[in-house]
Amino acid sequence: MSDRIAGVALALLAAWYGWTAGEYQIDFADVVGPSAFPQVLAVPIGLLGLYIALRPDPSPGWPSGRHLLGQAMAVGLLVGYALLLVPVGFLPSTTVLAGALALLLGARPGPAAASGVMVSLGCYALFAWVLDLPLPPGALFAGPE
Amino acid sequence: MRKGGRLARAGGLIAVVTLLASFASPRVECLAPGGPGSGWDFTCRTVGRLLQEIGIVDRPVQVINMPGGIGAVAFSHVAENRSRDAGLLVATSTVGITQIAQRRYPGDADRMRWVAMLGADIGVVLVRPDSPYRTLNDLFAALKADPTAVVTGGTSGAGGYDHLRLLLLARAAGMSTEELRRIRWVQFDGGTAVPQLIGGHVGVISLDIGEISGFVEAGQVRALGVLSDARLPPPFAALPTAREQGLDVVGINWRGFYTGGRVADAAYTAMVDSLNRLYESDKWQQAMRQHGLQAIWRGGPEFEAFVRQHIAQLRGLSQELGVIR
Amino acid sequence: MEILPALGQGFGVALEPQNLLLALIGCFAGTVIGALPGIGPTNGIAILIPLAFSLSLSPVAAMILLTSVYYGTMFGGRISSILLNIPGDAPAVMTCLDGYPMARQGRAADALAISAISSFLGGTLATIGLTLSAPLLAQAAIHFGPAEYFALYIMAVVAVSGVGSANPAKMLLSGLVGLALATIGLDPASGVPRYTFDSFELYDGIDFVVAAVGLFAISEFLLFIEQRGSGTEAKRLPVGRIGTAFHRMIYPMVTLRASLLGFIIGVLPGAGATMASFLSYTLEKRISDKEGTFGRGDPRGVAAPEAADNAAAGGNLVPMLTLGIPGSGTTAIMLGMLVTLNIQPGPLLFERQPELVWGLVASLYVSNVILLVLNIPLVGIFARLLTVPPRYLMPVIVVVSFMGVYTVSNSAFDLLLMAAFGVLGYGMRKMGFSLVPMVLGMLLGGPMEQSLRRALQASGGQVSILIASPLSIGLHLTTLGVVVLAIFLEIRRRRRLHRPVAPAEVA
Repeated sequence: MSDRIAGVALALLAAWYGWTAGEYQIDFADVVGPSAFPQVLAVPIGLLGLYIALRPDPSPGWPSGRHLLGQAMAVGLLVGYALLLVPVGFLPSTTVLAGALALLLGARPGPAAASGVMVSLGCYALFAWVLDLPLPPGALFAGPE
Repeated sequence: MRKGGRLARAGGLIAVVTLLASFASPRVECLAPGGPGSGWDFTCRTVGRLLQEIGIVDRPVQVINMPGGIGAVAFSHVAENRSRDAGLLVATSTVGITQIAQRRYPGDADRMRWVAMLGADIGVVLVRPDSPYRTLNDLFAALKADPTAVVTGGTSGAGGYDHLRLLLLARAAGMSTEELRRIRWVQFDGGTAVPQLIGGHVGVISLDIGEISGFVEAGQVRALGVLSDARLPPPFAALPTAREQGLDVVGINWRGFYTGGRVADAAYTAMVDSLNRLYESDKWQQAMRQHGLQAIWRGGPEFEAFVRQHIAQLRGLSQELGVIR
Repeated sequence: MEILPALGQGFGVALEPQNLLLALIGCFAGTVIGALPGIGPTNGIAILIPLAFSLSLSPVAAMILLTSVYYGTMFGGRISSILLNIPGDAPAVMTCLDGYPMARQGRAADALAISAISSFLGGTLATIGLTLSAPLLAQAAIHFGPAEYFALYIMAVVAVSGVGSANPAKMLLSGLVGLALATIGLDPASGVPRYTFDSFELYDGIDFVVAAVGLFAISEFLLFIEQRGSGTEAKRLPVGRIGTAFHRMIYPMVTLRASLLGFIIGVLPGAGATMASFLSYTLEKRISDKEGTFGRGDPRGVAAPEAADNAAAGGNLVPMLTLGIPGSGTTAIMLGMLVTLNIQPGPLLFERQPELVWGLVASLYVSNVILLVLNIPLVGIFARLLTVPPRYLMPVIVVVSFMGVYTVSNSAFDLLLMAAFGVLGYGMRKMGFSLVPMVLGMLLGGPMEQSLRRALQASGGQVSILIASPLSIGLHLTTLGVVVLAIFLEIRRRRRLHRPVAPAEVA
């Protein structure tokens, strides 16, 4: 079943991909143009997608319940981190991310918090001091622009 | 309770480290709108290094890479978040200006203050040593007879600066817009254009002389003309300029900086002065020679005016050709 | 020939105590930086360049430092591939395929040692090739025009789409979708933005490291959560020490084939090392995989790409030194460094700066030896990393991967993209889509499309230019052979029973 869904989705995507490519035009100095390659690619992607939908492999077992929730939380943490890194700053957001991920993976709260702090401080030392790469300080402590 | 205590201690530690980090004296930052190894990255790193070596700044200049959209991401970042930041230089060049001219940045040149240019790479038109074309006029006579007579190429895409300056030459040689549009142009990745020319996969290339000067010196390619105001210093003094050949086109790829549009006048003037001191130094002149670049200075209001004029010229040609509407 | 005396002089330079010390420092720093997930050779070198300046080294010394860092980061990248299934850079992707399964079977130390030894052999063989034939090869590379490059890229994508035991249709799809992803961003030939949804963040396309770390590392993380407490969870691994006799970790024929292939591909400017490791793995699988052990922890699957990759790095230096053409991001940075040091790379370099060129070549031999000597004892220490419980190790990996990406792009968008690729990679692995063809497609899609368009542009749209030279005809015929073979294998597979796809099949 998974393959059928993925196959149909790929075929639809391929159709959109090839159709959108038609909008990319340049009317001078270019024989092939920016639209040809995507249009050519769309054909086999669409056909192979349909092939998979018609001749699917057996479905893999997808996670459910606790595991699915854990995965969703992990992805949520990563997304939240990406959004909050710049406004909040490297150290606080990294501490929370590393600690929460450890919790999610089954660490007890105490060690999880400790590892969060250690990870963020260690990374800060490594990137900001040893490698001299800029890390976001965050508006919280660094004040306004 | 123990947990809470540990968490509190951890929070305190973070706050302390962050404060220490933010209280350190502010560093001049150079924003390179490309990744490590790109041309703009090089501009930032060279200028940053020399600013410190000469003693204009006391702490190393922090180089920040912000690639995206041929400079558009950095442009919009500065316009939105750092338009008043007096400690920020953003590397740019003719490539960035071409993007602005073709309206590919979020905003026009007036959203920024243009600080200075400190050097430039010079455009050159190259053929193989066994090519029938000996001058630019030979080349354009052949192209006028048949715009597809020879395949041209360079490191920018169609409508990019390498292409536009070749077309500026062609127009100066009397070709019509329709003929210009029919000239074939092939884009090669940086550095590979010359070997492709030598291998016979393309007939003429238009690019910057800096990184390929070795091939010119070795006689593996022939320069039909350089696009500078006047003849270049040795070892290229023997190469004729386009102007000498009656084609009044200057095609230089300059390297310079802009800063946020709302930086105060005093800070802006200080930036221009600092860069001028750098420009006047022997170390800068030497660095330019090493990289095959020509040291050229335009700073402050003069540079602002130059940028506007350059944009107007490129925008006009782009509209004429249909690169933009 | 005057090569040997010149090389002798070069060794004189490379073995000076100061230079030897620099090579040692470079190798070590490179190994450590390369081992950080998400930071490959290009960024590693870019980060260390200021160091070379601040020490105000002579040109020769600076180049020795940088090349040893280059070699070191390549080696370090394999450490995260083998132990964590995170390729630090593009060529390291293939090392994951068998290296990671080996680590999961408790043979991490063996895999690391084999990787070190093969890297050493590949690197040394390539350096010998570089010594003997650099100027000659540089001339040959010039015959590769757009049409020949196009044929080569097609062959690489098609050949690698046949790697792995899974469903060939899915393999091919994975590769094609990778090619499609590569069209995102500004089209270099025309400057037209494609599939960017008007977001400047996507104008430069999808960064390889973002995609690879997401696909491999984040998906690994999600798989781990799924398997936690379900019995199939990865147990604390016996890391132990190297379990194989030293001489049994050398695979002479594998290494020789891979090194030769790697060196030749490395000489061609383009996707050198990546294509070399991809193709040599494919070749080795076709030649030696009789029992179907490739992809399940076969040491030869580690030896081949490692040897090829390092051989290609040596090959890459040929166009860099002789033509001044960077064959890869890393050599581009080194080239910039050379210029900064007042050295003009290009056709005259060998004549004008012989002491630099030969000193550098000699230091390559030296770096190779240092890396081997340095890394064999370190193998045990690195492998011990796996004894850190995953609940603490995994967050570290995620954070370091994120920061590795963020510090060179300063883009939160890239982090979101990485998370999205993680989810995609998880789904693909569950459903038996191989990740490798997709990654390769993303890497080669751009150059493949552009070389096709360059060829047709130059010919004015005449398709015949694509098969105008014997070289391109030969490459296309090879590709055709691979396709026929793949179809044959698929038919045979279909005739057998529908066997369930193993969950969490690696890559």
